[in-house]
Amino acid sequence: MVQVWAEVAVAVTKHAPQLPELGAALLSAAMALPCVMGNAHAESAPEKGVFSFKYLNYKERQQIGADANTGNAATYSKSGASAFDDRIRVKASASSIMVPINAEWSMSGTLITDSISGASPAYHTEALTGMKDFRRAVDTSLTHYLPNGTITLGMSHSGENDYISRGVSLIATRATEDKNTTWTAGVGINRDEINPANRIVFNETKRGTDLILGVTQVVSMNDIVQFNLGYFNGHGYFSDPYKIYDERPRDRSHQTLQARWNHHFSELSGTSRLAYRYYTDNWGIRSHTFDAEWVQSFGNGWSVAPALRYYTQTAAKFYVEADPSLSPFPPNPPANAQYFSEDQRVSAFGGLTMGMKLTKQLNLDTKVDVKLEQYGQKGAWTMLGSGSKGLAPFYARSLQVGITHSF
Amino acid sequence: MRTKAPVMLGLAFALMALQGCMHIQSVEPWQKGNLAKPEMTFDDDPLERGFKEHIYSSKEASAGGSGVGGGGCGCN
Repeated sequence: MVQVWAEVAVAVTKHAPQLPELGAALLSAAMALPCVMGNAHAESAPEKGVFSFKYLNYKERQQIGADANTGNAATYSKSGASAFDDRIRVKASASSIMVPINAEWSMSGTLITDSISGASPAYHTEALTGMKDFRRAVDTSLTHYLPNGTITLGMSHSGENDYISRGVSLIATRATEDKNTTWTAGVGINRDEINPANRIVFNETKRGTDLILGVTQVVSMNDIVQFNLGYFNGHGYFSDPYKIYDERPRDRSHQTLQARWNHHFSELSGTSRLAYRYYTDNWGIRSHTFDAEWVQSFGNGWSVAPALRYYTQTAAKFYVEADPSLSPFPPNPPANAQYFSEDQRVSAFGGLTMGMKLTKQLNLDTKVDVKLEQYGQKGAWTMLGSGSKGLAPFYARSLQVGITHSF
Repeated sequence: MRTKAPVMLGLAFALMALQGCMHIQSVEPWQKGNLAKPEMTFDDDPLERGFKEHIYSSKEASAGGSGVGGGGCGCN
């Protein structure tokens, strides 16, 4: 089996476009981390299997063609006179199963289907173009439980009309004897094929390598913290084929630093879950993400969890600011600019999410949950300098319903 | 920008090694009742996490943080 893993590792690093040495070095480093040696208790596969199902209903709306400064709807509006135009609508379902094979092995698989319909702006928040798409994604993984850790090999495939993504990943964990410290190292390789319906490009590809390094530490009977460092390096077609004036660099790399802290308040039967992520990339985008959640348990298996998320990012250095005075025409990119984009997603903005999750443990093995979320995104909500101007605020709401059953 | 990555990773390694060597009062197995609660773990609902990552990575420029792999998409 060791040989199989070695072959996989070799295959993985062979396909890594940029960082084979770093990936291999990280993995070997993770296997031989200092201060965590010792005869650990054996990790073993879970005794029960788990089946989960979740349904998602997601809907966006935005005042397309609105003057963002006055909030007045402009003359152009695809769906008529309504103050808000519906944009993308997603109905998705995910089914997942984890089965222990024996004490040393388990396997799992997840099937996700998305059906997307609606409209997306062609530039900034203007000129809706209709779209319809269906995506099917399959993730499978195999986990081996070792005396002092785990190794997980994962494979993923995602297919749409115009986009196919394939990936393989390898994640290793190592725990100390008292199981209070767990180290994680992982590498993932992705290769995507892009064939947009408008044939603006043909057989384009995008390859990327992900690395992660993390530590989870039990700090007290009621505290657990986790730190993760992530690195991504990709090469290929990162532009959006359906947007006007969108030419992005063919290289993208980003780094993330994430910290999470869960604290249980015994006297309140409640748990606070706090997380922060810093992100920086070679396109000039930096972002901060703050997550806060409170899980309140009641009797009879009920729990309620209100959640807040705040996100803020700077614009990509090649982002072209909106110019509402030109409406309905897009502004021209600066003369001689090599890269440019008028996509709202690479502008400077802030985003706020409010959510509420209700969970009911029906019996020892079965749990059902429902979650409602509301998201808003505005240039003025940024925390990093002044936000991008001339973009209509964007809103989305989502509903998730799920069930988890152990067997 | 690319030279930053090894520096950051090196720094993180040093931090983690230091943290790993620090003496944190050991929590014994019989004291872990609260830590075993699903809400005290970091990945208690993987399907919800999947939807969340999928939505945010198609509406915001950032991605990643706590994992690797997973299928990409041509989300517009």
